[in-house]
Amino acid sequence: MSGAVLVVGELREGRLVPSVTEAVGAARAISGPGTPIVGFVAGPSTDAATKEFGRLGVPDVRTASDPRFDRAPVSALAAFVAQAAGDAGADLVLVPGTTFGRDLVGRLGIRWNAAAVTGVTEVQRADGAWQVRRPIFGGRATETRRLDGARAVVGLRPHAYAPPPDAPVDVRSTAVAPREPPANLWVPKRVAEEPVASGSGPSLTDASIVVSGGRGLRAPENFHLVDELAASLGAAVGASRAVTDAGWRPSSLQVGQTGKAVSPQLYLAVGISGAIQHIVGMVSSRVIVAINSDATAPIFKVADYGVVGDLFQIVPALTAEIRRVRSA
Amino acid sequence: MEIVVCIKPVPEPETRLRAAPDGRILDPEGVKYVLTGYDESAVEQALLLKESVPGSKVRAVSFGPSPRAEETLRAAVALGCDSATWIDSGAEPSPDPVDVARALAGTLRSLPHDLVLCGKQAGDDEAGLVAGALGELLGVPDFGYVVDLRWDAARSVFTFHRMTETLQESWEAPGPLVIGLQQAWNDPRTAKLPAILKSRKAPIDKVPVPAPDAHASRSRATTFALPPPRAGAKLIEYKTPEEAAERLVKVLREEAKVFP
Repeated sequence: MSGAVLVVGELREGRLVPSVTEAVGAARAISGPGTPIVGFVAGPSTDAATKEFGRLGVPDVRTASDPRFDRAPVSALAAFVAQAAGDAGADLVLVPGTTFGRDLVGRLGIRWNAAAVTGVTEVQRADGAWQVRRPIFGGRATETRRLDGARAVVGLRPHAYAPPPDAPVDVRSTAVAPREPPANLWVPKRVAEEPVASGSGPSLTDASIVVSGGRGLRAPENFHLVDELAASLGAAVGASRAVTDAGWRPSSLQVGQTGKAVSPQLYLAVGISGAIQHIVGMVSSRVIVAINSDATAPIFKVADYGVVGDLFQIVPALTAEIRRVRSA
Repeated sequence: MEIVVCIKPVPEPETRLRAAPDGRILDPEGVKYVLTGYDESAVEQALLLKESVPGSKVRAVSFGPSPRAEETLRAAVALGCDSATWIDSGAEPSPDPVDVARALAGTLRSLPHDLVLCGKQAGDDEAGLVAGALGELLGVPDFGYVVDLRWDAARSVFTFHRMTETLQESWEAPGPLVIGLQQAWNDPRTAKLPAILKSRKAPIDKVPVPAPDAHASRSRATTFALPPPRAGAKLIEYKTPEEAAERLVKVLREEAKVFP
């Protein structure tokens, strides 16, 4: 392999989102020591993100700084990413596993004439080509795909790779100037936005720890037990479909087939029986813990650790223990 | 308004998964292929728009082998789509989704379309590549993760919402557009028996799959694997809730190494 690896950045409030940091970690993990790793970022202002790339050890950042990118459709951005990849001499582009990233991969694959895959948990070089592994069928199976051709765009699954340790370097930024994308790609307008209800912690798909509550909590006024456990861990709060259908929590918190798919380092299921609809949304988590009073609940079949017992006693004790350990 | 909805035949959700004899893909033997979650929401979206915009027509388009693509198209016709186009993929049972987008784009270039809808991803391979690739090939904007698309006739724009990690965004754009829809936000209708019977005789326009571009980079499946069966949870033994908490935190820190 000879080419560089381009890591596509994504900004939220002027900073790189966590999935981008993980993509830098992936670039390090899969490429040889001599392989250049190059960052890309587009936004109204890219200075802070460029510095962040430098802190992660990426010395070369391609930027598209333009007020238009504040509210630009992804469609217009693909031309800039393709140009950056070409300028940098990349043969692999790594894209973060976010909604933005998922929307970019297919378009960039065509634009840059590259093989394109999404939802990837593992990238390897094998027999002269990139080979990826990805969960399919809601985590009930995995497939390996070989990427034929000179170029590849790989969309990563959140938390598949760890962020790299800080390794600050001087960073040089270079503006990317592709042939202007067709005007119609700029026309769609984002006319409003409002925050998705997410409790006070990190967002569900970003979080490295998720605590979800289910019907076992019995009533909406008991859900604070889940909120408090999540807060003690700095975790995101999720919910089963029973909880969101009953209106105890907004549907944006639903984990499962018809909600969000999450794959954190640690998933705690509180009072969730483990219907298949829920399982497919969380089975890819690295470590799963279940707390449930029913020892025969299917959740214990997919969990790594279980506590069979009364969650109204166990959860407050667990929250207290975590607070104690964390403050020690 | 001419609406095209792209649908994929997908194994029904209860399918027992196992690898084909070559170990490369899901064994299709005995599998029933149906319209699933994301595509059902896309068809429902197409029909809602048709009902709200007088003079609209919906055409369902599917890429796939016989008989599963025709059957899925007939299901869409039974739900209310006006016409159907089948891109006969021949033998290849597991193409690169980007090649599917190339075939769809080739067909769409000769079909009128103000709006192209599809599921934001398929329920089986979960790739989510088609909308973006199709948008680029057709030279029009695309958006994924979309819910509740409507037509604002007074201003001649589509309006729609999109969920990201932290925001619900509201967008507006004129057509043509490619839209990848979320599932489970609308309540997809079910077909009535007379419509199902009638759909069996509905004409389906068959078009051949274009010759693949030999120079295109692409991905191909090499292994289909089932995760090893889970051993089941290691249960924490305890006498008091405090002891349960202490032991759980200890194993998470020392054994699972997930807890700081």
